[in-house]
Amino acid sequence: MNHAIEVENLTKYYPSAGLRQAQPNGSGQAFLAVDHINFTVEQGEIFGFLGPNGAGKTTTQRMLTTLLTPTEGRILINGHDLARDSYPAKRQLGLVPEESNVYTELTAWDNLMFTASIYRVPRSERAKRAQELLETFGLWEKRAVKTENFSKGMRRRLSIAMAIIHKPSLLFLDEPTPGLDVQSIRAIWELIRRMNAEGTTVFITTHQIEEANQLCGRVAIISRGKIAAIDTPERLKANFRRVQSVEVALEPPEGSESSGGLPGLESLPGVTTQVKVGDKMRLYTEDPSALLPRLIQYAESHALRIVSLNTLGPSLEDVFLEITGGQVGVVGNETQEEKPARRGMGGRK
Amino acid sequence: MNQWIERIKDEWAQAWTVAVKDVRVYYLRPGMIMFGFLMPFFMFFSFSVRRELGAAEGVARLLALAVFFTAGAAGPFIIPTERRIGTYDRLLAAPMSLLTLLLGKTAVGAFFAIAVSIVALLAGLLFFGATILQPGLLAAGILLGAFSFSTLGLAFGSMPTTNPGDVQMPSTLLRWGLLFISGVFIPLGEMAPVARAIAYLSPLTYAQDVMNHAVLGSGLINPWLDLSVLALSGVLLLWPSIKMHQRARVLGR
Repeated sequence: MNHAIEVENLTKYYPSAGLRQAQPNGSGQAFLAVDHINFTVEQGEIFGFLGPNGAGKTTTQRMLTTLLTPTEGRILINGHDLARDSYPAKRQLGLVPEESNVYTELTAWDNLMFTASIYRVPRSERAKRAQELLETFGLWEKRAVKTENFSKGMRRRLSIAMAIIHKPSLLFLDEPTPGLDVQSIRAIWELIRRMNAEGTTVFITTHQIEEANQLCGRVAIISRGKIAAIDTPERLKANFRRVQSVEVALEPPEGSESSGGLPGLESLPGVTTQVKVGDKMRLYTEDPSALLPRLIQYAESHALRIVSLNTLGPSLEDVFLEITGGQVGVVGNETQEEKPARRGMGGRK
Repeated sequence: MNQWIERIKDEWAQAWTVAVKDVRVYYLRPGMIMFGFLMPFFMFFSFSVRRELGAAEGVARLLALAVFFTAGAAGPFIIPTERRIGTYDRLLAAPMSLLTLLLGKTAVGAFFAIAVSIVALLAGLLFFGATILQPGLLAAGILLGAFSFSTLGLAFGSMPTTNPGDVQMPSTLLRWGLLFISGVFIPLGEMAPVARAIAYLSPLTYAQDVMNHAVLGSGLINPWLDLSVLALSGVLLLWPSIKMHQRARVLGR
């Protein structure tokens, strides 16, 4: 069976201003965006391509979708070499770029009809598919409205509908959900899962770690143009046991004044890093079970009440930060979506 | 063999789809109206008012200007705009050849030029009493002129930029240069030999000459040569567009 995507030694140098050609030999005059990467994506997989801004995610995806010419390397899409003949591969691709690139002067219906025609969807099926997609995305009532009047979420949904009207076997999504409301995000995730269940291979470029965690069977983490890790989210987390943590919320007994801090918490044996997360403290440790009794002892000795106490496995965000060089707890973008995997003594004590 | 026939039919339909979409999306944009519709009339009246110009001569000149300015207005406006808002990626990633895409874009400018030429022609016929001596030649001249000047505009639009302003300035400068060296404002027969030799470098000279043949019944160049130069320049001007698109894929723009 062919891989859906096969990437060998893929490299991209952007020429500096004034240079006619990129300088792949390290002359220092070209910017190396993607550095000899290799990976495969299996058919039927949801594959996440994670990385911080500027890591090379979008550059890689643009090369995979023929929008950018690689400096070196080979790309096979469903067995078709993009450099030799991109036409059969293009027929099987769907692309949802980071910007919702709909034609704002056209209605939602006309946008879909245009895309269906460009992808040569049989004329007899175009209207049926457009109606199905507009209904699926909750846009049927707005089908005759020019998309300049659409919200960001509506344009995003239409953009995805346009990318899949020809039923691609391989769908590329570049940052599919940033800036969307929770309902839109959940609807898009659900659609991705459903398409995948029906056989579509999905390649998601994202810096939203929870999105990768929720959707992807495997993720690649790219940093400074190189692939730093590829594996399933759970196996990646298992390899980073040192970023386990204990999260504790402490407060003084009722009636007493808060002293405003928790002195000495960071110096408890086994604590590597301490991070304040809302009204809680997260203490990173390699051995949460050894830290728990010390924490209880600390609370008793300082006359503090334990409001909650949880042990947390390494989150994909922790793994991501470790790999990409961000220090756990310092960069620590604790988003609402990204909750470390809780286990054991969760809840109010 | 059947596979190739199907592919060609598909590509033809895709080029048509791109052209029709662009007509719907861009024809009423201010940039297109300004540079495409108003500019030829502005140029005509600027250089023709208060000069002794017969109706037939005026119509021939207006038609040449209309085809020249209108056809070349689409490319420099549409492609950078689409690059900026990201819709061009949708076209580049679609299963069609770059040539198909470029031909679709060429048709947008050409259709616009043909439509404006018809307006100019009707104005000449109805208000100035002009007559057309060779309608077939006129139609061929408008068609091939529209094709040639549209690919000229497309070459500028293909520059790897996302800002239409970056393209429109050099495009306008070149077109004005081609206008002033051509035989539009000074008939070829009245030019000094050196000026006439330079005029032959401008495709507009051939468009004006074929209009003169069709409307006035006389020109300085063989009309078949006029038509051939227009057709050939249109084909050749696709080449820089293709090269610049390939360059844009290297640069990532």
